[in-house]
Amino acid sequence: MELSDANLQTLTEYLKKTLDPDPSIRRPAEKFLESVEGNQNYPLLLLTLLEKSQDNVIKVCASVTFKNYIKRNWRIIEDEPNKICEIDRIAIKGNIVHLMLSSPEQIQKQLSDAISIIGREDFPQKWPDLLTEMVNRFQSGDFHVINGVLRTAHSLFKRYRHEFKSNELWTEIKLVLDAFAQPLTNLFKATIELCSTHANDASALKVLFSSLIQIAKLFYSLNFQDLPEFFEDNMETWMTNFHSLLTLDNKLLQTDDEEEAGLLELLKSQICDNAALYAQKYDEEFQPYLPRFVTAIWNLLVTTGQEVKYDLLVSNAIQFLASVCERPHYKHLFEDQNTLTSICEKVIVPNMEFRAADEEAFEDNSEEYIRRDLEGSDIDTRRRAACDLVRGLCKFFEGPVTGIFSGYVNSMLQEYAKNPSVNWKHKDAAIYLVTSLASKAQTQKHGITQANEFVNLTEFFVNHIQPDLKSANVNEFPVLKADGIKYIMIFRNQVPKEQLLVSIPLLISHLQAESIVVHTYAAHALERLFTMRGTNNATLVTAAEMAPFVEVLLTNLFKALTFPGSSENEYIMKAIMRSFSLLQEAIIPYIPSLIAQLTQKLLAVSKNPSKPHFNHYMFESICLSIRITCKANPAAVGSFEEALFMVFTEILQNDVQEFIPYVFQVMSLLLEMHKNDIPSSYMALFPHLLQPVLWERTGNIPPLVRLLQAYLEKGANTIASAAADKIPGLLGVFQKLIASKANDHQGFYLLNSIIEHMPPESVDQYRKQIFILLFQRLQNSKTTKFIKSFLVFINLYCVKYGALALQEIFDSIQPKMFGMVLEKIIIPEIQKVSGQVEKKICAVGITKILTECPPMMDTEYTKLWTPLLQALIGLFELPEDDTIPDEEHFIDIEDTPGYQTAFSQLAFAGKKEHDPVGQMVNNPKIHLAQSLHKLSTACPGRVTSMLSTSLNAEALQYLQGYLQAASVTLL
Amino acid sequence: HAMRRQRMEVNVELRKAKKDEQILKRRNISFSSMGESFSPEQEKKNAVSTLSLEEIVQAVNGNNPELHLKATQTARRMLSRQRNPPLNQIIEAGIIPKLVEFLSRNDNVTLQFEAAWALTNIASGTSDQTRAVVEAGAVPAFVALLSSPHMHISEQSVWALGNIAGDGPMYRDSLIHNNVIPPLLALVSTSSLVFQVGFLRNITWTLSNLCRNKNPYPPLEAVRQILPVLIRLLKHEDKDILSDTCWAVSYLTDGSNDRIHVVVETGILPRLVELMASPELSVVTPALRAIGNVVTGTDEQTQMAIDAGVLTVLPQLLQHPKPTIQKEAAWTLSNIAAGPCHQIQQLITCGLLLPLVELLDKGEFKAQKEAVWAVANFTTGGTVQQVVELVQYGVLKPLLNLLSARDGKTILVILDTISNLFLAAEKLEETEKLCFLVEELGGLEKIEALQTHDNTMVYRAALGLIERYFANEVCVLFQLLSSGSMGRAVITCDR
Repeated sequence: MELSDANLQTLTEYLKKTLDPDPSIRRPAEKFLESVEGNQNYPLLLLTLLEKSQDNVIKVCASVTFKNYIKRNWRIIEDEPNKICEIDRIAIKGNIVHLMLSSPEQIQKQLSDAISIIGREDFPQKWPDLLTEMVNRFQSGDFHVINGVLRTAHSLFKRYRHEFKSNELWTEIKLVLDAFAQPLTNLFKATIELCSTHANDASALKVLFSSLIQIAKLFYSLNFQDLPEFFEDNMETWMTNFHSLLTLDNKLLQTDDEEEAGLLELLKSQICDNAALYAQKYDEEFQPYLPRFVTAIWNLLVTTGQEVKYDLLVSNAIQFLASVCERPHYKHLFEDQNTLTSICEKVIVPNMEFRAADEEAFEDNSEEYIRRDLEGSDIDTRRRAACDLVRGLCKFFEGPVTGIFSGYVNSMLQEYAKNPSVNWKHKDAAIYLVTSLASKAQTQKHGITQANEFVNLTEFFVNHIQPDLKSANVNEFPVLKADGIKYIMIFRNQVPKEQLLVSIPLLISHLQAESIVVHTYAAHALERLFTMRGTNNATLVTAAEMAPFVEVLLTNLFKALTFPGSSENEYIMKAIMRSFSLLQEAIIPYIPSLIAQLTQKLLAVSKNPSKPHFNHYMFESICLSIRITCKANPAAVGSFEEALFMVFTEILQNDVQEFIPYVFQVMSLLLEMHKNDIPSSYMALFPHLLQPVLWERTGNIPPLVRLLQAYLEKGANTIASAAADKIPGLLGVFQKLIASKANDHQGFYLLNSIIEHMPPESVDQYRKQIFILLFQRLQNSKTTKFIKSFLVFINLYCVKYGALALQEIFDSIQPKMFGMVLEKIIIPEIQKVSGQVEKKICAVGITKILTECPPMMDTEYTKLWTPLLQALIGLFELPEDDTIPDEEHFIDIEDTPGYQTAFSQLAFAGKKEHDPVGQMVNNPKIHLAQSLHKLSTACPGRVTSMLSTSLNAEALQYLQGYLQAASVTLL
Repeated sequence: HAMRRQRMEVNVELRKAKKDEQILKRRNISFSSMGESFSPEQEKKNAVSTLSLEEIVQAVNGNNPELHLKATQTARRMLSRQRNPPLNQIIEAGIIPKLVEFLSRNDNVTLQFEAAWALTNIASGTSDQTRAVVEAGAVPAFVALLSSPHMHISEQSVWALGNIAGDGPMYRDSLIHNNVIPPLLALVSTSSLVFQVGFLRNITWTLSNLCRNKNPYPPLEAVRQILPVLIRLLKHEDKDILSDTCWAVSYLTDGSNDRIHVVVETGILPRLVELMASPELSVVTPALRAIGNVVTGTDEQTQMAIDAGVLTVLPQLLQHPKPTIQKEAAWTLSNIAAGPCHQIQQLITCGLLLPLVELLDKGEFKAQKEAVWAVANFTTGGTVQQVVELVQYGVLKPLLNLLSARDGKTILVILDTISNLFLAAEKLEETEKLCFLVEELGGLEKIEALQTHDNTMVYRAALGLIERYFANEVCVLFQLLSSGSMGRAVITCDR
């Protein structure tokens, strides 16, 4: 491709077409460009166009295309061809900085991005002139150009803020410092001087301040890894200037915009960050400057307004003070009573006020409000920063700070009392202040866990919180209601139980408040109260105490779901679940209506599932209804099936992916409720469950396996007689699961259920094949997890079919294989088996091999008899071997295709523990002793001689203990 | 168990050269005529010289012995000025070969001395300046002068050789090949020197420069020769001698395990540990460094340092007023904590946990960073019981606070440590309790925020912790539950 006018013309045509809205024109043009981008000169043609084209649209289009081209092709990947020829690379690097700087802003941005992509690969080794070229531009005096350079530098250097220390990185930084630090410092000083000469020229100031912001950002990046020698030597220059910029104000730079931060705010905010960086990492060197910054930042806070545009600045500034005041050696900067009072009065209190923006969010964006206020996503807010400062100050000055604030709280409450409808915000601030003062530590599950002892929380609760909630009108002063409910919620562990009990009916009635925040908080508070634990780990609030309120509680909860905006409110649904769980059989009289409302909800949300938490709690509630009801009346399972199957069928038919795993779990729960036989409705569904497509989705696998296990448990005989042709399909599922490192354990669950429940003759013809499949997997990719499951399986097989059958099937695959399995797998690996039941199965299985398998006594396998016994005693007595080979550590994360897919397990659909050898063997140690005894009676002398010749002393001692406990002696 | 970390992780430094490092080269400066007490009587008489550089050149090249001395003395004075000594002018004037020649003038002791002094000061300059002295053949001449019967001459030679050795491994080894060690050690042995503290200081400093520098290290044979003398010097009371001797030992131990071996087998450690508790900062610094180096070695070498009592001294050093000492002590501790659990147990028994947690809470950032490593290694190699004890000392709060540090690596190490703590909690079936503590102390919030950290490893580690221990009742990643139970999965639900 030559750099000819003809080619430029062609390229222009195609670029134009890529902007066409019609895909039939656009797509082929895009395809064409992609097909020629490998040619030499292609990027240079683009650069020519973006510089010289007459058409501005083409210029921009060429610059975007160029950037994307660089993004896709610049990096040289090992073992892959270099996609851009060396001559082009050199030409690009030679021109791009100049081009970027002389282009209009729209194009400059694209080229600046391209430079950082190239820089990431080539800088510094393969682009040695870049720094000098950039630094030379500082001399230009043209701040448009300078800003371009600074932006590019920032995009190149910002990675110093997060990359780990390494020789390579530090060599680069050193190089940058050597070439860049001094010119940057000169530029900084020059720019500040220009700011004062141009103090009356608004447009010049804007450009200059943009430069200062970039310079301050570069300072942060260059100083991040360690304190460079240069900056230590020039700390005076930088810090003095930063300090004076913090105190600077200029009417010309103030913006009218209330929301968007202006240049002045952005600069000061970055300076706060820079000061915080030094204070945190280079305290020893920064100490002389710190007090000045504390004063400046504090003054800044006192003089900064309430507008949203200052939020970031204010919260950065407060956070700086908060981090400094906790350090013992800066304590003295704050301890003066006047200083403390002033900080409390002028910094903390004003930033705790409920602002117009908060009020707006409370009414119109309640979800966001709740997330900030309740769930702690308020990290960057003023209130939060103020709260952190209170906590920081309380570290050394808890008493005085509490004293100062008590005065404030009282005066604010008095203001409120004078005229509540006008002054309600004062009370809001008072409550917020008390809350932040009192709470020293907090968790979601428990609320406040450590409180300030100077604050009487119960008194405040009785005098100022309850009265608001007791007022008959639940819709009056919604913000104060929300505050009050939140107070109960977070101080639930500090307020005495009798007060909480008084509050419960109040909370229930606030479920009817129209404000979304208020009824959501009420639901959440109830849910939290119901999870509290009293003595003996029982719930603090008992079902008996709740008896008078059952009906109104359930009614109001479901009614709350009908408020506009709350139809899929997860807090309410969670409260429903928690209420069911607490009330237990008290809900039974209401079940018909409850289950009808739940299925209706289910039907409605299954059209477009959008709130995963809501959906989850809804299914949990359904499970709870089933469990609670069927526990009292097992026959009721039929009516649930009747109510639910219709919706379930629809969900399965419409393939509502989010819900299918839930449906399988609920069905498992229902099926397990059946006493003996499996209803025909389930059998009709059976073939569908084996469809491969269902098994493609990772999230389906666990619940589907669980469901199939329930089928096998309840309907093995029915399957064998009426659906024998489906057995290969069932084994197909097993085969698919076993092949995957992530899902093999699920395959074993299924296989174990088949072995345990299916009549032996129905699976006879497949048995050998099953073992061969397992061996193949063992050979191809042996993992610890697989071995553990395999061991449990073969022992279960042994328990079920007998030790001889196990030996025979191994040896039928290949002669002497049984011995190999014993020697190479069972004996060395048995210690790895985990789980109570699993260990028991293995113990019983091995006991059978030892005592009920003639070849162990009279063939070459005999030499393995004592080692096997020793291994079994080890399984009983030694700690579990939970080591995992290094190469397996990341299996779960990296080798699993569906890592991202979450499986939503329902807690209340939980399966009860199943012990297949439970009835047969109670104590496996005694069982071993008895079995050995029986063996020794059959062949007297053999057992004792084997024991005495090769069992180690410690194991022998344990064994004698078992024999004694079983009161048997070996002959 | 955990990995021990060598002193230098990167070869590049961004920071200013450490102020507390030992000086590489020194000039012999004359502050006043009073200070020139080394020089013979006659010097005071012609205290003021008026020779120009040109005249000096002429004089040294001429045949007049009087002028030789006068010129050399003038040059020496110029080189001993406190400010801007004209090292390069003197070099460019080309008189160095003459000065070196004068070193052999056993007939004129004063001239010998003045030449030695002048050359000492030239050698105290940059590498190029030192090279000018060496290339003029000064080394054999100075080595010969070590055995001069005149003490002030042998002392000046010691000094000059110290400057040459301090230039780097190449000249250091060339001195060793010129057999500098035997006469130098002989000087220490000269019993008359017992009373000459200043001289002994010079010898010690020069010896330390002969031990200094890596790539390559000084030859092992030389090290073996020097070590017994260092041990003798460590018995001295003078703080400068002690300081330089400790520096020498710190250089010898700053290397691979076989280097450390040569030092520890001499039985030097108990005295070094004793000196770590010295009231003199200039002694504590290198003694601590030397011991810090030793514990980067094998478990056995570390055990020797423990047996020498390092753990009884470390608590006070962790609380030292100088942040650099705190940092160095914490680094030392971190490497001991990387040992097997019986060494960790000794660390507990000696009461190190309290000061460690204190440092983590209140130390300067660079010391906190090392303390984080100490905790990380402790939780990697410690038994469950030991980890529990660490937690009981309140390590969690300061550790979690440091998650807001502006240092990606430190954050990652903390996240790994938290993960270690959870492994221990799982074994005790107290996962929930730990979750509670982490959340209560504000850690959960910080870990959540780290899920958006720009460093991939940091955000992955944070995400891993959240998913594994803090995922709420809803979305539990199934893979993490596949513990191999019979179709059951444990779910964290506050039912």
